[in-house]
Amino acid sequence: MAGHDPEVSTTPNAVPDPAPPGVPPVPPLTPPSTRAGAPAGAFAGAPAAARVSPMVFVRLKLRLVAGNLRGSTQRRLGFVFTVLAAIVVAAFGFMTMAGLRFVPPGLAVDAVTVLFTFLLVGWVIVPLMMFGLDDTVDPSRLSLFPLRTGRLATGMFAASITGVWPAATLVVTSGAVAGLADGIGEVLLGAVAVLLHFALCVVLSRLATTALSGVLRSRRGRDVLAISAIFVVLAAQVPNLLLNGGMSTDPEVLLGAMASMLRWTPSGLAAHAVAGGGLVAVTGIVVLAALVAVVGWLWIAALRRALVTPDASTEGAAVRDSGGLSARFLPYGPLAAVVGKELKYARRDPRGRVGWFAAVAVAGIMAFSINNNDDGGAGGIGLALAPACLGAAMIAIQGCNAFGIDGRSLWMNTVVYGSDRDWRVDIAGRHLAVTVIAVPLLVLLSVVAALLAGDVLWAVPAVITAWGVLGVGLGVGALTSVLLPYTVPERLNAFTGAAPGQGGIAFLASFGALIGTGLLSLPILVPMALGHLWVCALAVPYGVLLSWGARRVAGKVAFARYPALLEATSAAT
Amino acid sequence: MPEITEAVRTSGLVKRFGQQVAVGNVDLVVPRGGFAGLVGPNGAGKTTTLSMVTGLLRPDEGTIHIDGIDVWRDQVAVKSRIGVLPEGLRLFERLSGRELLSYNGQLRGIPRDEVLRRSGELLEIMGLTEAADKLVVDYSTGMRKKIGLAAALLHNPAVLFLDEPFEGVDPVSANTLVEVLRRYTASGSTVVFSSHVMELVERLCDWVSVMNRGRIVAQGPLDEVRAGRGLNEAFLALVGARDGEGTSGQEGLSWLGTTPR
Repeated sequence: MAGHDPEVSTTPNAVPDPAPPGVPPVPPLTPPSTRAGAPAGAFAGAPAAARVSPMVFVRLKLRLVAGNLRGSTQRRLGFVFTVLAAIVVAAFGFMTMAGLRFVPPGLAVDAVTVLFTFLLVGWVIVPLMMFGLDDTVDPSRLSLFPLRTGRLATGMFAASITGVWPAATLVVTSGAVAGLADGIGEVLLGAVAVLLHFALCVVLSRLATTALSGVLRSRRGRDVLAISAIFVVLAAQVPNLLLNGGMSTDPEVLLGAMASMLRWTPSGLAAHAVAGGGLVAVTGIVVLAALVAVVGWLWIAALRRALVTPDASTEGAAVRDSGGLSARFLPYGPLAAVVGKELKYARRDPRGRVGWFAAVAVAGIMAFSINNNDDGGAGGIGLALAPACLGAAMIAIQGCNAFGIDGRSLWMNTVVYGSDRDWRVDIAGRHLAVTVIAVPLLVLLSVVAALLAGDVLWAVPAVITAWGVLGVGLGVGALTSVLLPYTVPERLNAFTGAAPGQGGIAFLASFGALIGTGLLSLPILVPMALGHLWVCALAVPYGVLLSWGARRVAGKVAFARYPALLEATSAAT
Repeated sequence: MPEITEAVRTSGLVKRFGQQVAVGNVDLVVPRGGFAGLVGPNGAGKTTTLSMVTGLLRPDEGTIHIDGIDVWRDQVAVKSRIGVLPEGLRLFERLSGRELLSYNGQLRGIPRDEVLRRSGELLEIMGLTEAADKLVVDYSTGMRKKIGLAAALLHNPAVLFLDEPFEGVDPVSANTLVEVLRRYTASGSTVVFSSHVMELVERLCDWVSVMNRGRIVAQGPLDEVRAGRGLNEAFLALVGARDGEGTSGQEGLSWLGTTPR
């Protein structure tokens, strides 16, 4: 998404921070003390508010980017990748926009309207999702410096537009001028409209993060946002589903409908200002400018408030009941303790909830879209089997790093466990907790998939097979958990799942688990695909046997290398 | 075999992180009963040593015995005998204080009624009864230290290891911690803790080990180590801060304290 805001990326758990292409990584700057944001003019006992040019903020931003890259090849590679990606996005976006010259003008304006809207929404949402205010953005970091709010706002605006993705956004949007405007007058007006729309993107994005910075710094606010990340992922699937669902067979009609809805939004105004010329364009530009001014003013007001509002992160009165369901059904002991804790975590930890939502959502989308793509109904029972098994695999993959969410609190278990049996019980507890949630969930999923596929009875083989796949997946996950452990960052965002430097391990673990689960499920799935449906009766025993064997091995491995396990799951994030 | 009067004895303990030697040949000895302080500047290797002693970090060389049992040989016996409160205080954040204690008790196989009784008393004495059903993630530093200590004490260990137990703790909570620990040692149990607060070490401990740059530079009964001086003075002399940093910085700060107007 081109609305990816660079400001939020200097936190280690986000993608490496971009800077404009071609800018030298380490610009010469004032002494190292300015790193924390000390303005150059604040030396020499400056008595009143310091006069700081926006350039200081720009250099601070570049310095932060450079500092973040120092000493880590992985981050440097990531940075290079980000720059390349931004260049590709910018070039591709610009050419797409400019290419609109060759489609009918009405359609071109519609397309630009929708694209501008996506950019604007992206600029507001993505920074919130990837929350980790960096030093140039979090106003509270700057509150001790003698800066007037207006100056601070100008500086932060300057820092905000310093980066790869802002530059890419600007390039893409200016493509609209190339694609829509005719004649020198329209080009000039179009350029102004594009710049104003860009400014609106930035100011609106700043307003959102600043206004919510209090919320974002509190634990509950971050929890809520972490969950909402999943809805963004789902929302991105909506057009796809609509198109697949036959809402409209003609994308042009859909585009027209969306564009007419967005005609009077800021993005619509900007698009029409670029295309229309004349009085329409001037009016649009005036409205846009006013909007930028108002949002900017609101931002300054929010900034002023954020600077004097205390950090509320230590408050919060969460009183909940301590009763555990597992306590009633399991014999009192370590196994019940682990099951109870895992079930509580699935409920209370946003990372747990996001994982479950994601697994179910992917399976659900899969169920809908394969049915839509298969109009002839030739798939038959496979249409019920595939989503159920995929759902089971997705749920099991969550367990590919079973100790990751415990992370640095895992020591509490390790100071108790004195044998490989203890570890085996621990892993079994985690498996049992997953199973408790997954078994009914897979029933539901299979029934839905079977109904969509056309015969509710197909749910029976589907769910039995899915349970088997779940067992296989849990077994594979137990092995990856002890062999390829990594740290799950506490501040989850939608774009990264591992601590800096462990992305490769995380990738290996999850894809290894997925591929391993797929391969080991073949002995069940292949005969079934060939028509021997009775094989599904073996699925559950097969899955149980495999996960039991894997737990035995994983328990031994875990006991042998638990200090390494602790270290790998407790990396700084 | 080590003498049975020692709670902890390490010999030739070494831990390297890459090129850097974090702990080099440490022979830590702690007699049984009472308080033992492990002091040293930042980066001296205190946390690394305590992590190895408590079985959280595998040493590169050397042996560790607790109550005469090899830590890395017989983990079951050792782990039921020790209580640990590591630095950083990472607890199970999404459990409430009460749930954290019952989780620990259940994991260690303590009977349910006993866990309920002990955790109720621990919460009471730590002043955490009101906060017992709040999630640990919302606890303050002092509350975290207290619930961490409660979890470490729940199975009544023979030796308790605490890494910086008083860091960031308000005086009221610190007092509670000290009171609980005093009661605990009164019956002959041992507390080993690392700290920067010399007054506290001086007030509580009867045995001190001083670490610097990954080595033990002094070790023994408190009075022997401080040799007639205050512990702070003795400590600064032992880690060699007198001639190095901290004393001769006046020349470069001539502007400091002068008002421009």
